[in-house]
Amino acid sequence: MNAPIIDPLQGDFPEVIEEFLQHGNMKCIAFNRRGTLLAAGCANGSCVIWDFETRGVAKELRDKACVAPITSVCWSKYGHYLLASATDKSLTLWNVMNGEKITHITLQQTTLHARLHPGSCTPSLCLACPLSSAPILVDLNNGSSTVLPVSVTDNTNGNAVSHPRNKFSDGSLPFTPTAATFDKHGDLIYLGNSKGEILIVDSNNIRVNALIPIPGGSVVKDIVFSRNGQYLLTNSNDRVIRVYENLLPTKGAAKELEIMSDTNDKFPRIEKLKEVGTKCLRLSREFQDAVTKIQWKAPCFSGDGEWVIGASASKGEHKLYIWDRAGHLVKILEGPKEALIDLAWHPLRPLVVSVSVAGLVYIWAKDYTENWSAFAPDFKELEENEEYVEREDEFDLMPESEKVKELVINQDEEVDILTVEKDSAFSDSDASQEELCFLPAVPLPDVPEQQDKCLGSSLKLGDSNHTGSLFSVEAAQNGQAILPASSPFEVVGNSTPEEAVGTAGLKRKRKPSAKGMELQAEKGRKPQTKNKASGKLSKPKSRSGDGIDTNGSVLEDDVTDEYL
Amino acid sequence: MPEMDSAEPPSTAAALSQPYVLHETLTGHERAVSAVKFSPDGSLLASASADKILRVWSAADFSLRAELSGHDEGISDLCFSSDGLYLCSASDDRTVRIWDLAASAAVKTLTGHTNYVFCCSFNPQSNMIASGSFDETVRVWEAKSGKCLRVLPAHSEPVTAVDFNRDGSLIVSSSYDGLCRIWDAATGHCVKTLIDDESPPVSFVKFSPNGKFVLTATLDSTLRLWNFSAGKFLKTYTGHVNSKFCIPAAFSVTNGKYIVSGSEDNCVYLWDLQMRKIVQKLEGHTDTVIAVSCHPSQNMIASGALGNDKTVKIWVQKSEGQLKD
Repeated sequence: MNAPIIDPLQGDFPEVIEEFLQHGNMKCIAFNRRGTLLAAGCANGSCVIWDFETRGVAKELRDKACVAPITSVCWSKYGHYLLASATDKSLTLWNVMNGEKITHITLQQTTLHARLHPGSCTPSLCLACPLSSAPILVDLNNGSSTVLPVSVTDNTNGNAVSHPRNKFSDGSLPFTPTAATFDKHGDLIYLGNSKGEILIVDSNNIRVNALIPIPGGSVVKDIVFSRNGQYLLTNSNDRVIRVYENLLPTKGAAKELEIMSDTNDKFPRIEKLKEVGTKCLRLSREFQDAVTKIQWKAPCFSGDGEWVIGASASKGEHKLYIWDRAGHLVKILEGPKEALIDLAWHPLRPLVVSVSVAGLVYIWAKDYTENWSAFAPDFKELEENEEYVEREDEFDLMPESEKVKELVINQDEEVDILTVEKDSAFSDSDASQEELCFLPAVPLPDVPEQQDKCLGSSLKLGDSNHTGSLFSVEAAQNGQAILPASSPFEVVGNSTPEEAVGTAGLKRKRKPSAKGMELQAEKGRKPQTKNKASGKLSKPKSRSGDGIDTNGSVLEDDVTDEYL
Repeated sequence: MPEMDSAEPPSTAAALSQPYVLHETLTGHERAVSAVKFSPDGSLLASASADKILRVWSAADFSLRAELSGHDEGISDLCFSSDGLYLCSASDDRTVRIWDLAASAAVKTLTGHTNYVFCCSFNPQSNMIASGSFDETVRVWEAKSGKCLRVLPAHSEPVTAVDFNRDGSLIVSSSYDGLCRIWDAATGHCVKTLIDDESPPVSFVKFSPNGKFVLTATLDSTLRLWNFSAGKFLKTYTGHVNSKFCIPAAFSVTNGKYIVSGSEDNCVYLWDLQMRKIVQKLEGHTDTVIAVSCHPSQNMIASGALGNDKTVKIWVQKSEGQLKD
């Protein structure tokens, strides 16, 4: 995406819902590093990996042992692994390429947010944040876990922070809701605790090296870094999102911090930590809705860190607020009346993906108006009518002199057709050789045609099987027959009985055009059944002599929206 | 069969130090050959023909590996997927078919075009296929499900060629209407149109290996290398004959940088990329050379010719000691 001819306003923010994805009941999402794949954790314990370019399901990660709803998904740095946490207190690490489960660990509590160590290609460490107690660092290889400190008590007991919520009673875990995240390279962990403080902990020796008190001192619900590691945002219970500038260098931050915290030994510990803290983070902006004072949910940065987006946590609302980093609210996006449960901004494009409580993933994008001058380069688009003023010599006959364009193109200049420019959007894109950017697309076989008439339907059947893509393929491999679905338009449940695709519907739908909706309404009268007889196939065929046309026309309709 | 060019065409300045010589002639097609392509790993060569059949040959010993039949009409173009496991072919029967090479059988049929499909191309990630047709549109298909993702209102005349750039973010299409258009693959929006003063029908277009330039062939016997972001062409290559057929050109980068193209005078032409001079003319075919392809790693060129000839010829660059074999 380096072509300079692409619209310079690319780094903007989305405006409308472009599409929605449906496959099972999705609960949480995560983009891979390049935004080419979107992982979604479902309520049935499986993880679906969407090929974001084609908006189709690329892979489904399933295992008999994982059936509890997924609470979070996280990619490894180069996209080879996916970590999923579920409500049965487990963490599962998947190998994305072959869809196999690598490790399955059960912890003491359910993890709300699990994050893989971002620094290495084959991460073994992960950070797990339970609902209401201290985050733990889990070693995925041996299952051992280390509890991270959530507060700092002064050794000298001077100004002891004896906050009632922080009492470490013996044995039982205290109620300390804490949010935590790795920094860009994983050397440091930034914790936001229930007292409204940010602690910077070294991930190797688990030492608290700095402390930054957040004004207001209320419980921190989320703490998120921007993609380039330069900005940090916290979402607090006092309904304010705060953006901090990271003053530490991105590389070698841990070392810097060690040095800083080792030097002054004279001061009491807390003061020292606070002093170091002032050199680590600087409060830059605060975002809040002064009028309605809504609580925020799932805030995050845009891919380039220019925008901050937060969702309203009010009941039943699907509202997204977008601010620029200077603090101005630039947009409020309102979605369908389904509460929002997760949000992610595409790493490169002005695209936002939100998950609603209905299990659907909505894709928000810029409302694109066709650039007509791209079709005819010598045309200039005008904002409004311009009076054309003729030149003095407009209609004079001038032999040849006008038409002699400077064809002085120096054809002898060296042209380089081989060197590729580095992608500036990624700081270490040299290592991208090993990166998993896309899953190989294995074309699903067309269902064998019974007759020529079936040509049209079989194309759609390929579609319907696609909803439960891997199931159908696996079923076929296991020797079961792939039973064709009833309606080419309502993609109905799949052949494999175990897949409880209750919400089987169109795997993805574009904004329906009027004609499209008409057609769908007609078709809608057909009951949705799990297993269909091929007799039903005859219906679409008989509508027009050529099954292809039916599909073609509906396709055309749906696809027309992609046109100009 | 003459191996080297004896009569010097006027514009040959620096001839190749090691000229290409004919290595093998592959027969078997019963009608004109329309396309030849090497697989991305160089192990296979595929050829398509008006006889409705695709033939897959080993690039090592040129034995016939597979014959893929299934199209109802002649085939105009073919393309390998990046992993070399699948082939897609564009045919006059208005379909694009995806073939599984391991099974030597068709896997998917992509229907939707309303007229002959003339050209097709996998994207580098091989999850999408772009196809151009006589119905003046370019369609983008999802390889996995066969669903048509987009229909681009590309041109006002038959679309003669489609190509993806290196990272799959752009699609370029050319047409008899004299235009080359560049599309954003993700959204389907047109980002650029390349047009010259006179607009002769553009018969072929392709991105350079680094995706910064575009090579176009027009039916006035000219090849041009454009910097598409600037909208200006940088190099012109002439000397061959191309006014009737859509003859693709290729970049040869394995041993120096050259442009290779077929021609209606039955020869394969090689130009030096920078100096634009013809460095060699490969003679041997008995009809228009309608297709050329360069091996990705070896100094080998494959060419296919029309109905009077019906063969695929393989040309290699022999080293000094192996000349005159």
